[in-house]
Amino acid sequence: MAKRRVDTGRGRKPGVVKAAKKSSASNRAFYLLIAVIAVGGIAALTYAANRPGNGAIVSPIDTTLPPVQSQGYVMGSPSAPIEVTEFGDFECPQCGRFATLTEPDVRQRLVNTGKIRFRYIDFPLDIHRNTWNASRAAACADQQGKFWEMHDAIFAAQDRWNGEATDNPDKVLKQLGKQIGLNTDQFDKCVDTKATQAKVQAHWKLAMDRHIDATPTFYIGTQQHPGFLPYDDFKNYVDEAIANAPTAKPAAQRDSAGSGGAAAKPK
Amino acid sequence: MSKRQGMALLSLAGLLLGLYLTLYKFGYIGQLVCNVSSCEQVQTSRWSVFLGVPVATWGAGFYLVMLALSIAGMQARFAESRALSSVMLALTAWGVLFTAWLNYLEAYVIHAWCEWCLGSATIVVLLFVLAVLDWRDTRHVGRGELVDAA
Repeated sequence: MAKRRVDTGRGRKPGVVKAAKKSSASNRAFYLLIAVIAVGGIAALTYAANRPGNGAIVSPIDTTLPPVQSQGYVMGSPSAPIEVTEFGDFECPQCGRFATLTEPDVRQRLVNTGKIRFRYIDFPLDIHRNTWNASRAAACADQQGKFWEMHDAIFAAQDRWNGEATDNPDKVLKQLGKQIGLNTDQFDKCVDTKATQAKVQAHWKLAMDRHIDATPTFYIGTQQHPGFLPYDDFKNYVDEAIANAPTAKPAAQRDSAGSGGAAAKPK
Repeated sequence: MSKRQGMALLSLAGLLLGLYLTLYKFGYIGQLVCNVSSCEQVQTSRWSVFLGVPVATWGAGFYLVMLALSIAGMQARFAESRALSSVMLALTAWGVLFTAWLNYLEAYVIHAWCEWCLGSATIVVLLFVLAVLDWRDTRHVGRGELVDAA
């Protein structure tokens, strides 16, 4: 190289050196500022990680339980031309949004009119502390034939029993059970003994087997749609799926013949 | 405040943000503070992991490197280093591209936004702007102050 840069200070104009010294003095105050922010930030992160009951979550899967066969909860006609499956997490805000904003229309306009059959499969995520409690409670309500009532009550009251709100979600879930008119002795006992743990694990496994990676995730016909859907989008996907079904009639025949496999079987 | 001081502050903010999302991703933080958007949907989507490492952790690493470089850049011996400016410019340009890709995914694939990710996007863009200005400042180093080695 024919040319090189000057070393700092050496051989430089005096003003440059002076400016460098001046800036190193102002640096000292700046380091202090950086240190204060860093310490404050780390303190805030430590606080966030150690909030009551907010620590690392132990695996909720009990491998000692004998496996149970269950394909979730179904609403609607077995002869509907397509089935929609939701993989949902009771503590996930977007699932709550879907349940409260979109689902009433879905039931009224699509399920009740026989256009679709709707299946809900629990996919309790590790990041939610109380979601297993909610899934177990919903399964307990199912024992009394009131899964969907409990499903709606759980989502509507999400902010009362979720990991942010309480360390004792079962207490709130029992109130909800009472509110929807369950036999409380039976329901409370089911919740306390975690009697439905194996069933929820079976649902969780279905989601894992399908490599679901977000909640809610919908299967509308054969298409996968991750994330919240407003009614209009949902309806469009349903129309598309019905149009793409082998033709509506043979599908209905296949279902009523009962040979559609697990996916076509009602609960 | 000099541009490199500004970059150090921004990098520190980004680093803390990246650490927060990383802790969440590894399950140490139960629920993100997320009032207006869908952080969870984004943070639990399949695109939240890049080459086996959570995107948030990549971000934290990026900001850590940027913090180290910009603090180095505040030292007298690197104050006018063209090489350092160029490295920071290249890194932040890469950061902007990567962030643009992530934002594209949020907008068109995941259909959900995460306010923390948008915060990081803002920081990256500001870092890039400062890096460009800093790079222009050091341009004279290559010209006016050259001396003949011979």
